[in-house]
Amino acid sequence: MIRKSISEKASAGLPSPVEALIDRYRHNGGLRQYVVYLAFVLILATFSVILHDDGFLSSSNLLNIGRQAAPIAVMAVGMAFALAAGEIDLSVGSVVALSSLVAAEIVGNHGFLVGTLAALGASALVGLVNGLITVKVRIPSFLVTLGMLGIISGIARNWNDLQSLPIRNDRFSGMFGAGGLGPVSSLLIWTIVVGALGHIALHHLRWGRHVLSTGADRDAANAVGINTARVKISALVVSAAAAGFAGILLAGRLSIGRHDLGEDYLLTVIAAVVIGGTNLFGGRASIVGAVTGALIMSMLNNGLILMGLEVADQLIARGVIIILAVALSMREAKES
Amino acid sequence: MLGALLAVFVLAAAACGNDDDDNSSDTPATAASATAAPATAAPATAAPTAAPELPDEPAPASEPEPTEPEPAEEEAPTREAPVTQGPNGEPASPSSEIALTASELAQIQGGDYSAALLWHSAAAFTDAVSQGARDAFEEMGIEVVVETEAGFDPAQQANDVETAMALNPDIILSLAIDPVSAAEGFRPAVDAGVQLVFLSTTPEGYSQGEEFVGVVTDDLAAMGVAAANLLGNALGGEGEIGYIFHDAQFYVTNQRDQAFKDWIEINFPGISIVAEQGLADPAAAEDIASAMLTRNPGLDGIYAPWAAGPADGVLAALRAAGADDVAVVTMDLDTNVSLDLVEGGNMVGIAADEAYEIGRTMATEGAYGLLGKETPPFVVVPAIEVTADNIVEAYRLSLAADPPQEVLDALGG
Amino acid sequence: MSAAPALVASGISKSFRAVQALDDVSIELHHGRVTALLGDNGAGKSTLVKCISGLYQPDAGRIFVQGVEHRINSSRHARELGIETVHQTLSVIDPLDVAENLFLNREHTRGGWLGARIGLLDKGRMRRECAATLARLQIRIPSLRRTVGSLSGGQRQAVAIGRAVAWGQQIVLLDEPAAALGVEQTQRVLDLIVNLRDQGVAVLLITHNMDRVLAVCDQAVVLYQGRKCAEVDVAGATKDDLVSYITGARSTDSGAGI
Repeated sequence: MIRKSISEKASAGLPSPVEALIDRYRHNGGLRQYVVYLAFVLILATFSVILHDDGFLSSSNLLNIGRQAAPIAVMAVGMAFALAAGEIDLSVGSVVALSSLVAAEIVGNHGFLVGTLAALGASALVGLVNGLITVKVRIPSFLVTLGMLGIISGIARNWNDLQSLPIRNDRFSGMFGAGGLGPVSSLLIWTIVVGALGHIALHHLRWGRHVLSTGADRDAANAVGINTARVKISALVVSAAAAGFAGILLAGRLSIGRHDLGEDYLLTVIAAVVIGGTNLFGGRASIVGAVTGALIMSMLNNGLILMGLEVADQLIARGVIIILAVALSMREAKES
Repeated sequence: MLGALLAVFVLAAAACGNDDDDNSSDTPATAASATAAPATAAPATAAPTAAPELPDEPAPASEPEPTEPEPAEEEAPTREAPVTQGPNGEPASPSSEIALTASELAQIQGGDYSAALLWHSAAAFTDAVSQGARDAFEEMGIEVVVETEAGFDPAQQANDVETAMALNPDIILSLAIDPVSAAEGFRPAVDAGVQLVFLSTTPEGYSQGEEFVGVVTDDLAAMGVAAANLLGNALGGEGEIGYIFHDAQFYVTNQRDQAFKDWIEINFPGISIVAEQGLADPAAAEDIASAMLTRNPGLDGIYAPWAAGPADGVLAALRAAGADDVAVVTMDLDTNVSLDLVEGGNMVGIAADEAYEIGRTMATEGAYGLLGKETPPFVVVPAIEVTADNIVEAYRLSLAADPPQEVLDALGG
Repeated sequence: MSAAPALVASGISKSFRAVQALDDVSIELHHGRVTALLGDNGAGKSTLVKCISGLYQPDAGRIFVQGVEHRINSSRHARELGIETVHQTLSVIDPLDVAENLFLNREHTRGGWLGARIGLLDKGRMRRECAATLARLQIRIPSLRRTVGSLSGGQRQAVAIGRAVAWGQQIVLLDEPAAALGVEQTQRVLDLIVNLRDQGVAVLLITHNMDRVLAVCDQAVVLYQGRKCAEVDVAGATKDDLVSYITGARSTDSGAGI
């Protein structure tokens, strides 16, 4: 009988931490996982040189960049989960508006906490419907959420006849936009909180691992007994809830609920998530990357405006840089 | 709040952690779909943004009503022409009153000032306003350090204000996309003492001379009157017309449409509006015009609320019906209607605004602010009655550009 | 082996519309023995495995696990009974690391009741236990933190098999575990099978490769057109014997139940 070879080196000796790090770098995706940070530093450096006397590096402007990235970053965290699970959520922009309107409607009458929870709840409910239709009726999520985008946009438009709903609640505004800790805006703090929660959920919760498994190989995930239908639903709920939270942040910052808040955010969010190293087709996600991607978008916006470019040239420059960044992260993905 | 966020993740995680109750989520499914379903049946109201080539002003906080200051006039037997008034009923001053003296100009030129242009959206209208402002600023030696467009997103506009403030501009020209949230959005500029000049709408709660220097707008009522005059005169004051109005809550078109209708009724008693139809989707204009012609074969004229889309559709319907004797008027310059106008087609005239002049006036008001010079509360630029005879000049006044080559060719030939 | 059979499937029949895929097939798996399941393509091997692992419900027949009769109605049910299946197509998750794959859907959590409820992973414990399991099975993986997607085919298959037996599972069904592997990697998988056997696991191995059967199997069941045509002790058989059963040239069994 055969009894040789592999037993001689049982997995006894664990490698040193440094070796382990190098090994993980080489085998878990190589440069790809760091493209977004590289791009961030590169763009930051470029603007710092070009705009050194145009206030780009002033602390107030850097805080601006962080603050302005907040809604996109929060939505990107949610979208990363939807994509990781092998789904996509096209309805996030309309959920932002819905959430801001629900918050504006309810904060006025029932106070800050009830209003915030109601806005989050309404958003999560949209995600639940998205998920249930996707999974139970077996319609691809990009179609379900496209339909939902229309439905929610319509509801938002009818809500107050296209007019803004003012929010007069200092606690709400202070908590979600106007206030902060010293010079650091509450928007920045929320971005960090949501990013950290998302990172923990993806890497340290059973749920995050199951989301990734479901997106990577649904059959294999089913085979080990993961309820992949429920995982997909929950990922779409998280995506919608995150969009709802972004709506709350915008409502707090502007002190309004409005039907068109977030209307144009979808593609920026997807670009931020993909640049951040999340696979558009499931199975790979990075939360820190998604937040960094959102910061890149915000920084591009800010820097190109400060360069004094005309609007048309800003659009062109932004488009070119986004394509370059995405190309870089996708190329690396193919090589590995 | 952290708790609530955590709860979302926890719920999701917990829901997946427990595999024993597979079907527990089915019940909310039906409930949720049921609540969502009726919404699909609700008709979507047309968005302001769905109307291309419009002057892009959203509604101000409180809409001016033509008869507001003297309500008695409404009952009076002879009504006056509709006039444009400021958001708080201020009387309109013509833009020609806004100018710098030679010594004031010299003072500004020596000041090394800078300006920021924070527009609401990108369109031909905005380009013309922007060009007017840039030209005027250049004459005054003021550098335009930044220009943005917010794509009708109030949040983006608030971002743009913050970003522009990094360059410490002395003047900001802008259109407040959403008057309610703009009060918060422009706060950094107000706090820094920047001279703010607004186009059409002002942030809620701001008052002229305190937070901002002045507000300039196109004369919407005058545009309606101009269109009415063009059509009324073309028909010799007699006939039956169809009236197509923008069926959406949108300040600019609502004002213009109403002013047209009012002035036809007041000034042209021989003309009757025999067909009236709202337009929500610009693409439906051709169908609406065809139906109007079918029901009213004796129709002499049609009013379309703006050029790109609605007027194009009306022209197409008239051509299809061979109705080349039906006169058409509309608002805003656009290549297709201009071409029809100079080639002697159905178009008898176009009402346009002097967008370029709006920009110039706003820039000059910014200088007023720097000088501490008193500014009239509400300044309007005149409307233009465009015919084939003055179309080249009209393009320059309105869009700060020559007419498109096709139009020039048609004029030459 | 004198103990009771780990699994007895008796008189299993299964048809799909007009096709009789299995006709009154019986098989016994014993602790510490490797049973080969042989047969040409379409002979009914995979159907039998799926009936045992809960993916198909047989039309007739009984299944006894550790002497107790069960109707196995899902793969989860089979797993609860101690039956693990490694399918022909790999069922590992590429973006997860080795330890995460080994513990997928059986994760250890920390943080007490709340931690268990929200599924806060105890990664340290999972890595330690993973290392121990792999060591016990003499599976060598460069690093437990490597994503499975970066491993070689043999290593991935080893992880899949390792997962099957990491849970004290006593019955392991392997469907062509070395189909896509090179020579050396195949050898490692065969070593692993021997290793399982030595630890008292009952193994069913589906394969087309007679050398592998002769190398690691104790016993062989041969199916021919949905019926059992032979059951032989491998020790007394030659490669030619096995091939002649598979092609239907010879038969030792009338097809009647055990």
